[in-house]
Amino acid sequence: MALRKKRRIKPTIPTASMGDVAFLILIFFLTSTIFTRDKGLKMLLPERTEEQEKVKVKPENIVTVAINPAGEAMVKATGYEMILTAVEFGEIKRVVEEKLLERDTLLVVSLRPSKDAPYKSMVEALDQIKLAKATAADGRELRATKVSLIPTSEE
Amino acid sequence: MRKSIIRRYKEPAEIPTASTADIAFLLILFFMVTTVFRATTLHLKIKLPQARSTERILMRRNVSYIWVDINSKIYIDDHVVTSDMVGGKVTQKVWDNPELITVLKVDETVNYGVVDQILDQLKEAKAFRITFASEQRR
Repeated sequence: MALRKKRRIKPTIPTASMGDVAFLILIFFLTSTIFTRDKGLKMLLPERTEEQEKVKVKPENIVTVAINPAGEAMVKATGYEMILTAVEFGEIKRVVEEKLLERDTLLVVSLRPSKDAPYKSMVEALDQIKLAKATAADGRELRATKVSLIPTSEE
Repeated sequence: MRKSIIRRYKEPAEIPTASTADIAFLLILFFMVTTVFRATTLHLKIKLPQARSTERILMRRNVSYIWVDINSKIYIDDHVVTSDMVGGKVTQKVWDNPELITVLKVDETVNYGVVDQILDQLKEAKAFRITFASEQRR
């Protein structure tokens, strides 16, 4: 009898922390949810210009990257002229970096894919151009920001 | 005297917390139900090219898409369009939002000529901010 009298409080499962657990789950899902973000290579198209007002660029400031229908690239710059197969596109970056050091902000990269070239090759070449970066003598970071995108005309 | 008064209040004052769990779960369910993952689902099989310098587009509100599938068909807003119709469609969008970013989701096997025609139309429509959609290459 005496033992029974001691148990006055009913046995319960503590539910006070349930709310904390649920909020933890809520916050976990809120922070871990990733919405499919759009990704890609950004570019700014030039304004349409008349024939007369086209900008003249000295040939020594230009690196031309042409792409043929087979997906091969031809890199042309002063002192360079090489043909690259699809797996050698890394060379584009190297040439652009070297020219960046030489020409600084004057450098213009002209990307000229053939109209029959696969889109993939054009994106890969553009990727290499965007990846190229060099550090100038005064510590500035140089990047190939001037990229012109003109397809090669059929001959 | 004082002792006897204190003795009466055996149970401490408590805020009932049993229902906080219900509130939290309600919130979870609310967010689960109201989350819209994508407004339009296009059943196109487009394999985007891969690029190392892939960047994320932060301005989601200003984004508009142009899809080009493996057969060089162009899609804008769930409609198949011909390449010379792109300009008109985009002009309207630029009118509505001058900050427009056009995302080109082009299959990697498509000929560049198709893309060039679209770019030409975009220049005409004054939609200068473009992005070539690509997958991150590691």
